[in-house]
Amino acid sequence: MLEDVIAAKKDLFADGVQTVLRGHENRNRRVVLLKGNLVQNSRSESRGISARVNNAGTYGFASIAEYSPEAAEKVLRAATENALFLGKHTEKKLILPASTCSGSIPINYGIVDTEQKRIIELCQTFDSYIVKKYPDLASRTIVYHEDSQDRILYSSDACSGHLVTPRCYVYVIMSAEGADGAPVELFKALGGFGNFADNFSDPGKYYPEIDELYKKLMDKKEGVHAEAGLKTVVLGGILGGMLAHEAVGHTVEADLVRGGSVAGPSLNKQVASELVTMVDFAHSYNGQPAPLPVFMDDEGTKAVDDVLIKDGILTGYMNDRETAAEFGMQPTGNARAWSFADEPIIRMRNTCILPGKNSVEELIASVEDGYYLIETGNGEADLTGEFMFGVTCGYEIKNGKLGRALLDTTVSGIAFEMLKTVDMVSDEVEWNSSGFCGKKQPMAVGMGGPHMRCQIMIGGR
Amino acid sequence: MKGLRETADLADRILGEQEIKKYTYTLSRSEKQEINIENGDFKLMRTVFNNSASMRVFMDERMGSASGNDISEEGLRELAKAAVAAAESASEDPCHDIAPDQGKDVFRQGVTEPDMDRLMMRIREFLDAVEKDYPEVKIMNAIGSFDRWTWISRNTNGTEFEDFAGQYGFMIEICATDGDKSTGLDYSSFITADLDKPFIEMGEMRRHLEEVRKRLDPLALEGKFEGTVILTPGCAQTLIGITLSNYAGEGVVIDGTSQWLDKVGEKVASEQLTVSFKPYDERIVMGERGTANGFRSEDVTIIDKGVLKAHRLSLYGANKTGRPLVKNTGGDMVVEAGDRSLEELIASVDRGLLMGGFSGGQPGTNGEFSGVAKNSFLIENGKVTRAVSETMVNGNLGEAFLHIRGISKDVLCDGSSVVPYIAVDGIVISGK
Repeated sequence: MLEDVIAAKKDLFADGVQTVLRGHENRNRRVVLLKGNLVQNSRSESRGISARVNNAGTYGFASIAEYSPEAAEKVLRAATENALFLGKHTEKKLILPASTCSGSIPINYGIVDTEQKRIIELCQTFDSYIVKKYPDLASRTIVYHEDSQDRILYSSDACSGHLVTPRCYVYVIMSAEGADGAPVELFKALGGFGNFADNFSDPGKYYPEIDELYKKLMDKKEGVHAEAGLKTVVLGGILGGMLAHEAVGHTVEADLVRGGSVAGPSLNKQVASELVTMVDFAHSYNGQPAPLPVFMDDEGTKAVDDVLIKDGILTGYMNDRETAAEFGMQPTGNARAWSFADEPIIRMRNTCILPGKNSVEELIASVEDGYYLIETGNGEADLTGEFMFGVTCGYEIKNGKLGRALLDTTVSGIAFEMLKTVDMVSDEVEWNSSGFCGKKQPMAVGMGGPHMRCQIMIGGR
Repeated sequence: MKGLRETADLADRILGEQEIKKYTYTLSRSEKQEINIENGDFKLMRTVFNNSASMRVFMDERMGSASGNDISEEGLRELAKAAVAAAESASEDPCHDIAPDQGKDVFRQGVTEPDMDRLMMRIREFLDAVEKDYPEVKIMNAIGSFDRWTWISRNTNGTEFEDFAGQYGFMIEICATDGDKSTGLDYSSFITADLDKPFIEMGEMRRHLEEVRKRLDPLALEGKFEGTVILTPGCAQTLIGITLSNYAGEGVVIDGTSQWLDKVGEKVASEQLTVSFKPYDERIVMGERGTANGFRSEDVTIIDKGVLKAHRLSLYGANKTGRPLVKNTGGDMVVEAGDRSLEELIASVDRGLLMGGFSGGQPGTNGEFSGVAKNSFLIENGKVTRAVSETMVNGNLGEAFLHIRGISKDVLCDGSSVVPYIAVDGIVISGK
């Protein structure tokens, strides 16, 4: 855990400029067992201090890979010089928006280190379970990945605080020989927010998920290509979350709105079916901790929930302090940085489409000819709202019943057109927090959603 | 602050005190100066001073590694302790090893002192040129940067490599706008060792600026057909990279699921295709000099006129499988140019796409791909007709590169790769 060695340097903040000083540590642990072979066995820690200064309309940022009071002084000086240097090359005069919060955000969690031996043993436990129970697999890979963050932040005119975000996962990847002899794969991420012991003190609790993964892989190895075109589908909750993140989330990040995203002219307009309400949650959902809680962002803004779509109407964007002032909105704590060397940019936190009233069974039973899409591995979106995400697990639906499994495919669409086709929403939410969002820097994000029936473009043959 | 060589001596001493007989490490220092532009104006100047240290230690036949950015004595002691703890926890595997003695060498590339005023001048010149020549184009984000670094790598077999390098880089994220209409995002970037030429003439900047404004009124394709897709250099590089990883990469060769497992020496692609990694090619600005395994880097051809020459195996993969290792970590891709102009390639296509980007699910090791054709144009009867949206492409990577219609003599040189246009047949193209 970081000790606070930078508090006294707040006295060096200059009058009349906005300053944020941040100490930041990223901790990684990684073990990879490839078909039983330990091919990666590593531990990594990087820490440093950064300062961002806004002086007369331009930002200067500086960071250094040292964590000491002296390093804090250096970055404050360098960031100020950078802002002045840039100021000579632009006429831009940004008026700093007023702060929306002050005071101190208390530390929210702790980081507990785990011996590498225990991590390797955990991976071997999962590997042994799979080898013994499923000897017919062509290959299996077990990946333990931990990327925990610890940051202490002081702001000249907003909140200060100490925020800790530990998360760790085991990715189980199985491979089997498909009908044509080519390999077919499927993976599952186990774990979540918290330390090793929070997630993996009882590996056996994950065995049912591993068994389910194997069953789906066996279905998939006999799978068929989807038929390309616009289809009626039931998106599973994990895909609902991906839809929230990729299709809508990115288009309503205010920096992208400023860049020309389709969400610009769509504010306060109907962009989705009335069944769709979407929120970027800060730290809690339904009275419980959100998958990756954020209590404060890296500008020192206290994090609060941001309602993006309410009953199908686009109601807001995700902002930093600068864009919030530009769009006449309140900053909600979305300016986040991945490492000490990164400046804060607008990022999602725990983005979720809220549940509706139908059961999952009702959704599937309602489809005469379509697909049930369950798992995804990646996704992307564009300014136009055109999105895609890969589908790694799905099934045909024929006359309201599940049919053959699908081989890997991709779905796509234009977000604000596709969301208007949502006509049934299930009454539960599935969350996923194991991935990274990429936007200049990586970022850990949570995403969640219910099952939804909709029309979507699917790739295939 | 200690010099890096002095820090390396310290690392040797610390590892020696722990009686580690076999190890390798790399220590580095880096500095970044970065100018960020948002919506056509300067927004932020960023300076990053960073260090890194990575150690791999071997205890009997057990390997552990640790890395971090604290290269003080205390930091190195902690790092050594973490690497030893990792090694002690590992199971024995004699296939983990370090490179044999590669001798001692010092590498110098690029420019190590930046001219920030000239960099600012080139950026301003670029912004002004775009405003004048391409008024519909919006520069959503641009980053001009100077990076310099030095690293030293040693192992207990006697190798010592030292590297001093610096480069400028420039990237843009652009779209075209007209009232409420906007195109999707397009990207272009390059790296360079000097600031001699205007940025707009570097890499593929002009092509991207020209093409993005033609995409304001795209056609949403309907129906489905099998056609030819001409991959732009950036798109071709992405798909070739995935193909090599999925068919000839270390993971699939070690676990035996590679579809090219026993294909070395056999035809796996069209005879028009030659793919190499060439860190010493004169068009590559900052080629790799030492591999991640500690070997002196070499130019390596993976596919030669359609024939698979090697799997992409590290020392570990080579030891594990008994196959040859490749002394190259995999950057600096060079794809041999063909003999036809882009116009001739387009003229040869009855129906298909000129595809600027692939946005799809990550193809699996069976090579199946499915995704959206981004920044793409419809080709009909030998002519580029309309920009398209909501258009998907589907096929198999292995099959696609067996069915190459032609390769252009025009190539993209962006400082880190050299890649032509590649036309592939038999791709399923679908719309609504």
